[in-house]
Amino acid sequence: MPIGDMLFRSVDDSQINGVFPNTFNEYKKWDKEKDELPPEEVYKALFEELAYGEKIQIGRALTRMNYSKSGWKSLIKTTSREIKKAVKKDELPNNYKEFLITANEKWADPTFWYAMGQMVNDATPIYYWNALDRTYDQDQNVVMQDEKRRIYIKTWIKTLKISVYVTIFCLILGFPVAHLLANLPLRYSNLLMIFVLLPFWTSLLVRTTAWIVMLQQNGVINGILVWLGILSDDGRLQLVYNETGTLIAMTQILLPFMILPLYSVMRVIPKSHMRAAQNLGAKPATAFWKVYLPQTIPGMSAGGLLVFVLAIGYFITPELVGGKDGKLIGHWIAYHLKTTLNWGLCAALGAILLGVMLIFYWLYNKIVGIDNIKLG
Amino acid sequence: MSKFTKAFLFASIIFAPFAANAVTVASWGGAYTESQKKAYADTYSDPGSIVFENYNGGLGETRAQVESGNVTWDLVDVLPADAITGCDEGLFEDISSEIASMGVPGPDGESIAEDMEANGLNYHSGWDCCVPQIFWTYVVFYDPDAFPGEKPDSMADFFDVEKFPGKRGIHTWADGIIQKALVADGVAPNAVPTVFANQTGAIDRAFEVMDKIKDHVVFWSAGSQPLELVKSGEVVMAVAYNGRVGAANLAEGENFEYIWEGQVLDQEYLCLTTGAPNREAALDFMMHASSPASQAEQAKYITYGPMRASGIPIIEANEPWGPGGVDIMPHMPNTPERLKVSIVNDPQWWSDNGAEISERYSAWMGN
Repeated sequence: MPIGDMLFRSVDDSQINGVFPNTFNEYKKWDKEKDELPPEEVYKALFEELAYGEKIQIGRALTRMNYSKSGWKSLIKTTSREIKKAVKKDELPNNYKEFLITANEKWADPTFWYAMGQMVNDATPIYYWNALDRTYDQDQNVVMQDEKRRIYIKTWIKTLKISVYVTIFCLILGFPVAHLLANLPLRYSNLLMIFVLLPFWTSLLVRTTAWIVMLQQNGVINGILVWLGILSDDGRLQLVYNETGTLIAMTQILLPFMILPLYSVMRVIPKSHMRAAQNLGAKPATAFWKVYLPQTIPGMSAGGLLVFVLAIGYFITPELVGGKDGKLIGHWIAYHLKTTLNWGLCAALGAILLGVMLIFYWLYNKIVGIDNIKLG
Repeated sequence: MSKFTKAFLFASIIFAPFAANAVTVASWGGAYTESQKKAYADTYSDPGSIVFENYNGGLGETRAQVESGNVTWDLVDVLPADAITGCDEGLFEDISSEIASMGVPGPDGESIAEDMEANGLNYHSGWDCCVPQIFWTYVVFYDPDAFPGEKPDSMADFFDVEKFPGKRGIHTWADGIIQKALVADGVAPNAVPTVFANQTGAIDRAFEVMDKIKDHVVFWSAGSQPLELVKSGEVVMAVAYNGRVGAANLAEGENFEYIWEGQVLDQEYLCLTTGAPNREAALDFMMHASSPASQAEQAKYITYGPMRASGIPIIEANEPWGPGGVDIMPHMPNTPERLKVSIVNDPQWWSDNGAEISERYSAWMGN
């Protein structure tokens, strides 16, 4: 249900079409080749729909209109005020076009009219195009967004890159730890397990803030490196408020999600397998590679998928330690949900995220096989 | 039925009537909400009837509540651009007649609107649904110990890394800093909103100024971070919310200096949600919270200025007004001489252009 609602919202533009049905109908008849500005009928329909429309519905439409071009909100608001005045005095204009342009000169600016083309249909793919840095030109052709505003494709790539890196780092770091946990005598491994779980139970914000203290330029790590003479005092490393910080903090925070499934899989691998392999003449490395590793694949896949899924939607940690590189796709979903109220774009971003996940899932299924996953 | 479920049902029967009568106020949390509790709720005729809940700003939750018809927040504390959008969209109820008739007048009978206009504000549609709270501001501050010689005192200094070397802390969103950039480029602070609204290329100009410090910036995203950045020496100057700097100076014994020039004053409103379950009680509380006395009272607990001009004389007449016998006016953002060098944010323009500029700012940060 919620997913269905999200997919529906990502293409739905019916609210605004309910507010300006006649304007949009007339708009579609406008021949852009012939006339620079829309014909009188469009202005007339707009006048009437603003004059007699429901205030709240118009208000909601305003929010929508502003997505297509900045400035719609105040344009419609100032125009509405003039229209209301005229209607109150019972002075309907003879020429609606002239009236609106006098009310606000932007009605003579064709770019606003071109932008209207984005909203004249009940169902629209425009939000998906926006989510990929694209928009419509005057003839409804898909074109790239203004260069200064292109952010989403970059953000998608950055999000994927960080998620993949974090997954790999978690695997590299988590594998030996899980192996140790699974093979130590119980009393040691229990103690070690607490070291894994303790940060897992600690608040996310506390851990994130702790990383800031550790990594900042006058922080613990830089302090130690300078004290040891490895770095000069002026050469302190920028470890936080950038991508490095994001990777370090996210890897640490997501590490338990890799260790736990790996551990539960490794624990049930009989130790005799390795011994048997070596007995039969395999070198330890070969035995590990050929006998042990394949048996841990279900754990690696479960952990990897878990970490990747969590990382791709991560939001608060990168926001705090990432500085300028901290805005992953989750940030933009939250931003449009809360600040711009552009739920269509939100839904489109979410749907693409879902699509990316499904692609990875499908790839995974092709390569490893989905039955091959095991959490314990 | 398990014991737990029984206990839970029992508890909900017992507590439900109380909960239903309480006015729920959604606000930003932290020291700010504390100050609201002390200044508004504790001085109210029935303090127990007001419950505060934390949220992170924006209209997302409010819209979800109103659209689903399941409204739990009676009042929401919002930024001016959200007050405008919320009122236009009908998420907040138009109570302009109630505000006019029930609002607590100032000492000379000033209405709420007149009081705000006296503070240099212009009407916007948010005024129909919301009552004023406080002025807060994006201000630049520094630790004087970081500058043994000459100290920075203007926006031009903030954007000049040769004269004052060292990193700057700025926020990861656009609205404060791009306006300050124009001041550094020679625009009079009071004129900045008009320049943005009327001059093509003003935004490009601001970004060009910001390019000068881009390689010397640490970006922060949570209000406590700039304080931490300056304290630890990670940056030498930072943009911050003035309430945070005031709290550090007054309560934590810090000695930070402000650069008031080019501070970006912004407003804060309390709005009535459409379909609020306790509408009448909420209205009554709104009027109490927006009285000059309550607004002045709030300055005791946080260094944000009253949006009603009649709140200021109350503070001035009763100094030391701050905690532990400290004068509070030196920390207030909206004194007459500071207003002269301030940018007063234009929420109407931001609600028009905010989304586009925000995308552009992010593109700029990431490059």
